[in-house]
Amino acid sequence: MGAASMIVLIISAIVFAAGGIITSKILVMGIKNPVKSQPYECGVETIGNTWVQFNVGYYLFALIFLIFDVEIVFLYPWAVVVKSIGWTALLEIMIFLFILFLGFLYAHKKGALKWV
Amino acid sequence: MWSLSSITDIVQTWLGSTFNPTIALLLQFVMAGLLVITLFAVLGLVLVFMERKVSAYMQVRIGPNRVGPRGYLQTAADTLKLLMKEGLVPAGADKFLFNLAPYVVMISAMLLMAPIAFAKDFQMWDLNIGVLYVSSVSSIAVIGILMAGWSSNNKYSLLGAMRSGAQIVSYELSAGLSIISIVILVGSLKISDIIASQQDGWWIFKGHIPAIIAFVIFLIAVTAETNRAPFDLAEAESELTAGFHTEYSGMRFALFFLAEYANIFIVCAIGATLFLGGWMPFHIGNLQAFNHIMDYIPSSIWFFGKTFFLIFVIMWFRWTFPRLRIDQLLNLEWKYLLPISMFNVLLVTIMAIMKWHF
Amino acid sequence: MEAKEIIFYLLAALTLGSGLLAVTARKIFRAAIFLLFSLIGIAGFYFWLQYEFIAAVQIVVYVGGIVVLIIFSIFLTQQAGTDLPNPPLRRIIFSALAALFGLIFSWMLISQHPFKPGAESPVAVSVANIGSMMLNVNDTGYALPFELVSILLLAAMVGCIVIAIKSRTETAN
Repeated sequence: MGAASMIVLIISAIVFAAGGIITSKILVMGIKNPVKSQPYECGVETIGNTWVQFNVGYYLFALIFLIFDVEIVFLYPWAVVVKSIGWTALLEIMIFLFILFLGFLYAHKKGALKWV
Repeated sequence: MWSLSSITDIVQTWLGSTFNPTIALLLQFVMAGLLVITLFAVLGLVLVFMERKVSAYMQVRIGPNRVGPRGYLQTAADTLKLLMKEGLVPAGADKFLFNLAPYVVMISAMLLMAPIAFAKDFQMWDLNIGVLYVSSVSSIAVIGILMAGWSSNNKYSLLGAMRSGAQIVSYELSAGLSIISIVILVGSLKISDIIASQQDGWWIFKGHIPAIIAFVIFLIAVTAETNRAPFDLAEAESELTAGFHTEYSGMRFALFFLAEYANIFIVCAIGATLFLGGWMPFHIGNLQAFNHIMDYIPSSIWFFGKTFFLIFVIMWFRWTFPRLRIDQLLNLEWKYLLPISMFNVLLVTIMAIMKWHF
Repeated sequence: MEAKEIIFYLLAALTLGSGLLAVTARKIFRAAIFLLFSLIGIAGFYFWLQYEFIAAVQIVVYVGGIVVLIIFSIFLTQQAGTDLPNPPLRRIIFSALAALFGLIFSWMLISQHPFKPGAESPVAVSVANIGSMMLNVNDTGYALPFELVSILLLAAMVGCIVIAIKSRTETAN
C-alpha cells in the first residue's frame, strides 16, 4: 500500500481510541463527587506540589543516551554496506567505536553511569 | 492454495473491476484500517487471556475459568467492564495532555504495524528502511508515557513515568545494536530482504554464537522496553500503584493496556522476523524433500507461531526472575549489555566479511 | 487539489501551528510537547518527500532523543508545574518584529531565487548509497567527516559529564 498506509494507520488509531472513549462516555452515568477526582495516594491526602525537582541522574542518563543514539544512527547505513565493502569498512568502524569507547570509559571512570 | 496474499489479490481485483480507481483505493484503505483495528482488538483479548492462563499454570492454578467455555470469554467481559467504567480526570491535572496521551501511545503502536510481514506477500508497507522505521517509531511511545505521567498530577505517576522513560531509552540502544547485527549479515534494512535471506535457514542457526548473543540481548532489551517483569519497576503495582497510568481509568486505561500488549506483539514479531525467519518455514540447507514438507504449513501459521512462542517466553520471564531495582537495571544495560552488544557487532562483522556463516 | 498537496498543507499546518504554540504556551512542559509535534511534522515532510532514512533519523534523534532530554531537564527545574510569567510587553513587541523581519527577509530571498531543476539526474537516496558514500575513502567520499563525527560525539559526552557531575555534587551539598 505504500506510504499511504501511514495515514491509514494514524486515522484508524484515532478512530479506535476515540471510538472507545466516546462509547464509554455515552454508556457511563457518572455521579459527580469531589473526593473522586482527588489524586490517588492510597487514601492519604496529598502533601505539597506534585511537580517536584528530580534527581540529576535521569538527565545524565538521557544525555549519554543521546550520544549513543546518534552513534547507532550512523551504524545503520554502515551495517547495510559493510558486507560488500569489506575490511576497510570494519577498520573505519573500529576507529569510530574506539573513540566512542574512550568516552564510555571516561563516563565509567567519572561515575556518571552510577545511580545515586 | 489459499493464502492471505491470494485473498487480498482477489479482493483487490474485484474492487478494481467494480468501482472507479479513486473509490476502489479509498475502500481498500478503509478495509485495511478495519483489519488493523480488528487485529488490535483481537490481540488485546487473546494476549491478556494468554497472560492470565500462562501465569496461572506457572503457579499451579487454573486461571480464569468461569466466563464462557473454559474461561475463554473472560477478557471480553473485562473489556465490557472497562467500557462501563467512568473515565476520571484527577483534579489539578493538565486536562489537554491527560486526554492526549492515550492517543499518542495508540498511534505509535498502530504505526508499527505497517512494516510487519504477517505472511508471504502480506504486508502493508515494505519500506526500504523497515527495521529502522520500527526502532524510530517505537521511540515515540516513551513521550506518550512521559506525557501521561506528567499530566496526572500524581507523584506515583510522575515517578513511574520518569523511571519508565530512563529505562526505555537506555534499552533502546542494545535493542538497536542487536537489530544492526542482523542487518550486517543481510545487507539490507528491508523486512522482505531480511526474510528472503533466511530461505536456507534462520539467522539464529546460520549466525553461530554471535547471532545467539544478539538474540538473547534483543529479548532482554525488548522485555525492558515494553516495561515487562522483571523490568517492571516503572509500573510496579506494589510499589508505585501501576506507575504512569495510576490516574487513568475506564477506556483510557484500557487503551494504555492494549497498546502495551500490542507493543509486546510487535517486538516479538520483529524478533521473529530478524532471528527466526518471519513467515519463512523451517528449512535446512538443501534438503529439498524436508523443505517441501515444511512449505505445506501456511506462512501465516509460521509467523504467528514464532511470534506467540516469543511472547510466551517473555511471559515466562515474569514468573522466573525477581524484579530489579533501578540502579541494577541501569547497571545491567550500561555496564554489561551495551559493551557486550557493541563487541558482538564487531564479531558479527568479522563473520560476515569472512563468510563464516552458512 | 490533489491528495499529495492536501497532505503537504496539513503537515505544514501541524509544523507551524505547533511551533507557534510551543513559543506561546504558558506551561513549560506543554511547550516541550508542542515542540515534539513540530518535529514530528518535519519528519512527516521527509516521509512526504520519500526520504525515509532522513525521516527515521529525525524521529530517532529529535523525537526519541532531544525531546526526552528536554523533558528530563524540565523535571530538573523546581518550578516545573507553575505557569511561566508573562513576558513584558516590550519584549513581545520586539520579538514579534524580529520574527516579522526574518519572515520578510527569507520571503524576499525565496521569491528572488529561480528554482530550476538541475541538469544531472538526482542521486538515489537509498541507505546503501548513503553508507557507501560515508565509508568511501576516495576524494569524493566522506570517510574523514564520518570519523570526525565520533570525535565530536566524544567531546559532547565529556562536556555533558563534566557539567552534570558538577551539578550533581552541588545538589548533594
